[in-house]
Amino acid sequence: MGAAWKRIAAFSLEYAIYIVLLILVVGIAIREPAFLSAGSLRNILLSSSTRVIIALGSALVLISGGVDLSAGRVVGLAAVLSASMLQIPEYARRFYPELPNLPLFVPLLIAVAAGLLIGLFNGLAVSKLRIAPFIATLGSMVIVYGLNLIYFDQEPNNSQPIGGLRPDFTALGSGSVASIPYIVIFAAVVVGLIWILFNKTILGKNMYAIGGNKDAAKVSGINVDATLIKIYAIAGALAGLAGVLEAARSGGAKSNYGEMYELDAIAACVVGGVSTTGGIGTAQGVLAGVLIFAVINYGLTFIGMNPNLQYIVKGLIIVAAVAIDVRKYWSRS
Amino acid sequence: MRTFTSLLMPAGFVCAVLAVNACTKKPTTASETAATSATPTITIGSAIYKYEDTFMSGVRGSMAKAAEGKATIDFVDSANQQPVQSEKVDLFIAKKVNALAINPVDRTAAGILIDKAKAANIPIVFFNREPMPEDMQKWDKVYYVGAKAEESGTLSGEIVVDYFKKHPESDKNKDGIIQYVMLTGEPGHQDAELRTKFSIKAIEDAGYKTEKLAQDTGMWDRIKGQEKMAAFLGSRGDAIEVVISNNDDMALGAIEALKAVGYFKDGKVMPVVGVDATAPALQALQEGTLTGTVLNDAKNQGQATFALSYVLAQGKVPDQANTGYAITSEKYVWVPYKKVTKENMNEVM
Repeated sequence: MGAAWKRIAAFSLEYAIYIVLLILVVGIAIREPAFLSAGSLRNILLSSSTRVIIALGSALVLISGGVDLSAGRVVGLAAVLSASMLQIPEYARRFYPELPNLPLFVPLLIAVAAGLLIGLFNGLAVSKLRIAPFIATLGSMVIVYGLNLIYFDQEPNNSQPIGGLRPDFTALGSGSVASIPYIVIFAAVVVGLIWILFNKTILGKNMYAIGGNKDAAKVSGINVDATLIKIYAIAGALAGLAGVLEAARSGGAKSNYGEMYELDAIAACVVGGVSTTGGIGTAQGVLAGVLIFAVINYGLTFIGMNPNLQYIVKGLIIVAAVAIDVRKYWSRS
Repeated sequence: MRTFTSLLMPAGFVCAVLAVNACTKKPTTASETAATSATPTITIGSAIYKYEDTFMSGVRGSMAKAAEGKATIDFVDSANQQPVQSEKVDLFIAKKVNALAINPVDRTAAGILIDKAKAANIPIVFFNREPMPEDMQKWDKVYYVGAKAEESGTLSGEIVVDYFKKHPESDKNKDGIIQYVMLTGEPGHQDAELRTKFSIKAIEDAGYKTEKLAQDTGMWDRIKGQEKMAAFLGSRGDAIEVVISNNDDMALGAIEALKAVGYFKDGKVMPVVGVDATAPALQALQEGTLTGTVLNDAKNQGQATFALSYVLAQGKVPDQANTGYAITSEKYVWVPYKKVTKENMNEVM
């Protein structure tokens, strides 16, 4: 009896996040049985898709012992950059009135490359200049926002929302194959690639080692600076990709896109079991964390809960999920 | 590595200093030359609540255009924080500007700004966010330029009424009640609350009964509007007869969500109304996905704000003759909203 109880307790601790997710789904479904439908699943996956891409970037950085506060603003910059170059020719207020029809991949690459560059900047600041990650990325967060505002305020756009996006671009966000949205497929591919990075690559092993104990990692011959630069650069590129997809999905872009996404991403990471002090975290955990928030966002609106109350529920879930999760490591140490 | 770092740091610092110099120098020389060659030295200090705000960018542009050749306007960003704005106003007063044109972050904080302006005897024109009436009475050189927020709600409700009169089949379940979903702006935002309330009031005043199927905040945001609408469609589906949104961005998001479940093709339609008449919204009117929107007239708000500030800066008392705008209760210029649908959209483009 005692042993069985202990096993159950250990099991529920280990899979606490997934149990929370299940309870949420069941709870919402009891209130509103129509919640359990293919449409709901599709909408939850759609809103999770861009968020999980950002959250995986944040997870990379968190596991290495850092934090990336610039991710949200990179999303906004990439959304505006890509949208500004992908408008239909007959749209009345084009960002670049004379721009010819560019091949789709050119603006997308520019936007993702901008994210990558900002990530490189973060990585250099953290490793070579030894600035605390919180400060370095706080700086770049503000810089990126400023750059975006200047770009967005240019003549003739003057801070107007960018609309009239090309159908081949919006198809990336709203099209689907065999009723699976493209954007969900992109997200699944990214989750797969990051899972491989975490589990099967030297970069991944070094990332965990640095996050666990930086000095020990250095002594054991890991090139800490190079690893950190790569990690921040990948995180930046992922945020850039997410920004492009947000623009494609919503059919427009504005400079405030992505605002606070970095905190949502960090919240999803910690709820998904990523340690904010580094060294711990999995790709599947991050995915579960993102799904929990997507289920809350969609489900609480679905059952018509007062929006003000929704904030409180979200906050409580963050605190509760992490409170349960840390117990895992108490019992081990 | 040490050398790399030690080289990079001073280099970066020098670059930053140079950049700051370059940025600060250019406008001063430009305004100096403008002042000596063309215009008298009238300077207006203007603080905008948040630079990136779409509508305020339009107002700002219109003010700058109206001021060309007449006065210099120093624009500053209050970054959506009242303490920042108060500091900027202190700065303008220290610079001895001739008039202040302030777009308050927090309408209840206007009283303090009026006290400061009065102490320095610098006339102050508020715009777009209305100070409390008791604050407006504190001094005679205080004015307000803006639109009546409830009017935007009333007009969007009227667009719904017009649509249902023209398309009685939109009452899909034939129960004589308009089943609506509402996408609201930021909770507690005055515009959001007035638009929500007065849009429904206008529909009911026209003799229709209404039933709210769902309401949630999309925080003025297109993506959030899209996600909330997807949830509404998931729970209410085809029972929804009209989508009312506090702004265009959320309405356009809702249209994306509607498209995803098969609306706007094969004759399946849904009336959607927004507010703001942004460029993407006009495009949606053209395409026939957005039913109507309401124009908050940025151009006239900017022109009226400048006209009042300019007259006050010269020590004169503003009236309809010297500003071109009717002044009510000696202090207020009301710029009307306009209904925009596919039929009249060319007038606002």
